[in-house]
Amino acid sequence: MSLNISVVFQGGLDNLFSKKPSHKLTIPATSDGKPANLTYLIFWLRDNLLSEREELFIQDGTVRPGILVLVNEVEGSGDGTDWELLGEGDYELKSGDEIIFISTLHGG
Amino acid sequence: MSESCGNSVADQEALMPRRRKYDKSKTCVKCKENPGNIVIRHAVYCKSCFIPLMTFKFRRALEPYVNAKPDGPRRTALKPQGNLLIGFSGGMGSTVLLDLIHRYYVAPDKALITDEGGSHHPRNERVWKRVIVCYVEVCDAFTAMEDNTNEIRDVVEHYGDMEFVPLRIQDAFDSSWWKSIGRDAIPLMTDLLNEDLHMTQLPEGKTPLESMRSHIASLPTPTARSTSLQTLSRVLVQYTALANECSHLVLGTSLTSLAVSLISGIAYGGGFHVKEDIQEEWNSDQDMGSVPDAPKKDKTRKHGLRIIRPLRDIGMKECGAWTWWMGLKVVGRQGWDWPGAKPGIGSLTKAFIVGLEKDYPSTVSTIVRTCGKLAPKGSVSGKCVSCERPVQTGSQEWRARISLRTRETTSRPTLGNDAIVKSLASHLCYTCQTTFTSRSSRPASIPYPDFNVNPTATPLPIWIGRSPRPQGGDVLEDGGEEFTVFRPMGRGEMRDVVKDFLLTDE
Repeated sequence: MSLNISVVFQGGLDNLFSKKPSHKLTIPATSDGKPANLTYLIFWLRDNLLSEREELFIQDGTVRPGILVLVNEVEGSGDGTDWELLGEGDYELKSGDEIIFISTLHGG
Repeated sequence: MSESCGNSVADQEALMPRRRKYDKSKTCVKCKENPGNIVIRHAVYCKSCFIPLMTFKFRRALEPYVNAKPDGPRRTALKPQGNLLIGFSGGMGSTVLLDLIHRYYVAPDKALITDEGGSHHPRNERVWKRVIVCYVEVCDAFTAMEDNTNEIRDVVEHYGDMEFVPLRIQDAFDSSWWKSIGRDAIPLMTDLLNEDLHMTQLPEGKTPLESMRSHIASLPTPTARSTSLQTLSRVLVQYTALANECSHLVLGTSLTSLAVSLISGIAYGGGFHVKEDIQEEWNSDQDMGSVPDAPKKDKTRKHGLRIIRPLRDIGMKECGAWTWWMGLKVVGRQGWDWPGAKPGIGSLTKAFIVGLEKDYPSTVSTIVRTCGKLAPKGSVSGKCVSCERPVQTGSQEWRARISLRTRETTSRPTLGNDAIVKSLASHLCYTCQTTFTSRSSRPASIPYPDFNVNPTATPLPIWIGRSPRPQGGDVLEDGGEEFTVFRPMGRGEMRDVVKDFLLTDE
């Protein structure tokens, strides 16, 4: 079983992922018998898509502080919900989800 | 009775439940109807309520300072005295600021301006006749940074109705740029190994790029280099605003960036400038804002350039959400890293504040509000010739008392009769003195490969060549200043000065 999701990188994060701002992915639906969640996706991105400088994306088992994560349960709807309202890394992914990673680190 | 101190590996229930990032429920705290989309400092907002909240905070930070007199209880129409300059760095805050200014004051967005009205309303008339966007490209101060000027130009032109003025960081060392904004100066250099920072005239033949790199490479620490770049960028933008008859300069410093700036500024000796870091009114003349002979209650009297940070109540997370929901393109700012250099105070502070904001978001807001209440002790004695901010009286004497100093046996350098000698240290604020002279126990890395560093001949920004007005000095009719220089006199000149008092041999 697999999930079809899309990820979007903004605020300069696309530079770490082959300079492509959006990617359509197929990832396993489960990991170690548990449904794939956002934490799993973050490490999957590190292992399969990240082209450079892991420390700019991941820190202490989650995204680096300063990276905002939004979840669009309807891809392309333009809204998106803060992952803090969905349980952060424990949010279980569904097919059709759009996950947006926005780096707010280079401010000003 | 629950069992405490259980084995969290074997028993998941022994794990402490994670603290929620939001208060109460997931429904918007404002409309109490829609499900929330974003958590801002523990409060949940839906997208529909988030947008007017952002614009309210933005206008609250900017509009009271548009008119010459801050608005009293009765709001009046927005009538600035001059034009508006937007300092744009390409970062997230600048991008949001540019978008808000355009939507509200350049081409009013009816979707944003909803049910408010009145004569002061921006939709009735364009508030600023000219809006200029100024960008300072700093890539030439680094070895592996891309030039983003064209991407930035594309972003500005996409909006339209705004002028774009690109600068380069080396313009700070370019006499022709200084002349192009209607000013004159003598290019100077200083000896960073001399505690008084003796200045001499910069010999001709150095390009602005060489002067800028020589200046950066000569600075003693990575913190000093970053601080200097920030100061050069800010002062360049200030003088550009002045040259374009702007009454207001807005910068995209968010709440998060402001907290970083305040804490790191205090860490490297800028506590006296805490108020200026938040907001200031700047005059280019050296005696802190007084226009000679101007009546104080004259309504037409022009105020100084008001430097405002309208995003100071808006955190970086809110800026990120705004860019996504408004579909904005963020060019981004590359990190200021030199090869082999350790992180400076600014980088370390930023890492700390950003981490703090993730776990304790309200604390960042508390930092800025608390710093806003600070009133530094001490009086002002003039303006720093380097950073154009107030000099605290007695800072040089205090520094002499608290720091280890060396005393050279020969206090004056050997110079020719035409040399100009002036002490820079006595005209600097404490921050700039520290920037130029504070040394690390570790030797500073050389930022540019195969570059000859000579700290005894460090080029200075071109505006330092406008020396401070002497006490009781005259103001020239065109508003300029007398330039007082000191130089060794030849024997013939000395004789001419005292000849009327010499006794003859008769």
